[in-house]
Amino acid sequence: MRLKVGAATSVGRVRPINEDAFSTNAGLGLFIVCDGMGGAAAGEVASQMAVETINERVAGEPLRAGTERGFQPRTTHLGRAVAAANRAILARATEDAAHGGMGTTMVGAWIAESVLSVAHVGDSRAYLCTVDGVESVTRDHSLVEAQVQAGLIDREQSLKSAQQNILLRALGREPDVEIELSERPIGPGDRVLLCTDGLTRMLNDDALAEALVRFRGDPQGACDHLIAAANDQGGPDNITAVVIDVETSALGRMLDRLKKV
Amino acid sequence: MPKLILKFDERELQELAIGTHPITIGRLPDNNLVIDNPAVSGRHARVYREGDHYVLEDLKSTNGTFVNDKPIARHTLLEGDVILVAKHTLVFTRQEGEPDAADHEAPAVRAGSAPLKPTSLLAGLDQGRPSQVYDAVVPKTAIPTAQGRIGTVKVISGKSSQPEFVLAAVTTMIGKADNAQIKLYGWFKPDVAAAIARKGEGFSITPMGGKLSINGEQVTGRREMANGDVIDVSGLTLKFSLS
Repeated sequence: MRLKVGAATSVGRVRPINEDAFSTNAGLGLFIVCDGMGGAAAGEVASQMAVETINERVAGEPLRAGTERGFQPRTTHLGRAVAAANRAILARATEDAAHGGMGTTMVGAWIAESVLSVAHVGDSRAYLCTVDGVESVTRDHSLVEAQVQAGLIDREQSLKSAQQNILLRALGREPDVEIELSERPIGPGDRVLLCTDGLTRMLNDDALAEALVRFRGDPQGACDHLIAAANDQGGPDNITAVVIDVETSALGRMLDRLKKV
Repeated sequence: MPKLILKFDERELQELAIGTHPITIGRLPDNNLVIDNPAVSGRHARVYREGDHYVLEDLKSTNGTFVNDKPIARHTLLEGDVILVAKHTLVFTRQEGEPDAADHEAPAVRAGSAPLKPTSLLAGLDQGRPSQVYDAVVPKTAIPTAQGRIGTVKVISGKSSQPEFVLAAVTTMIGKADNAQIKLYGWFKPDVAAAIARKGEGFSITPMGGKLSINGEQVTGRREMANGDVIDVSGLTLKFSLS
């Protein structure tokens, strides 16, 4: 699958440093976004470690054939890489007092062979944009999301809640963190957005969807626009957005037309 | 002597008597009451005696300290107060021995019906209603059994690798690609013609590179599948059943 990628990150307008980290590997189809936490430069260490470890593991370990728990091999492979990153961050935090208590969220997308594999921990998100509209593939591991799911508050209230920063899961904070895996079919014309909460706390799903549709075919333009819009809203946090378009080649389009006859 | 009862997910984990010395609560191991959870600050809060009263003070924690669902900076504790530190609750009581049910009913009910009971909320999330955005939480140990209903497709006409397929995977691909479970054969067949996705207890089908029709009607986007649907994917006709 041919992928066209845009990515942007911003420190925002309030925070002194950017603790977000991301990676894009269009050749492999692997994209990671992380939002680090923990004082004294520890947060950026955790997010960077997560990005590096996941990339190393995904590329370095052999892909095991067969499905596990009903997931495609790539999905579980990605999940194992995230678990490895969790252990690596926790080990560093434990042995090095300067990095004690550091942690990070993560959302990762692996796009290959018509499958979008997503792994996530925390409140960084993945959205999938298809002919059916824009769908949030992930559900935050946060207190407010749990409250919304339990019907205690609605989505609008959750965006105003003072407890938006309470995470229920993060990498690097417990040895056995639960990593949520998801899969979606994905094909030419579909678009994926990965982002940190610096974006989603400033723009609601409608605003995200509008931008994703408006900048169709221009993933970098979409990222730049989203980051600017979040900064216009005050930019209280670091903001990261990665947009991936599944492209159709001219030959592919021709073959598709033949196959549909 | 008054005490704090530490609970997680309705389970009582620990009891700690409050004497004349302050009690510190936090994630770091040198606290009197250690709560090892990422949402708890290293030094999160403390409880100390002031005259006849006991005072709870938040130590400017990142995620805050709550009493009976309200964030506090400093709070004089009353019998039965429910303190929330991240996902853990602490009940303050002056009662000796077994806590009196009557005294605890009020805060327990209050906490249960209010948003600040994340442990019970977490349980709700994991077992939650199937929704558009939710697939599965990979458990630490067990294989999830919550899929509930079983979907199968039977080949009615056309050529595939099996006469019938159980839709056990989260994503089932139909096509001639290597990773397609439901195979299509033929030079002009697409690598991936359509994909069936399992969500909660339901199934949906999305056309990918092929021609898809359900019950004779052409489908261009994702469609929920219903028991008895006859699905035609690029020349392969399947009947879907949900049991």
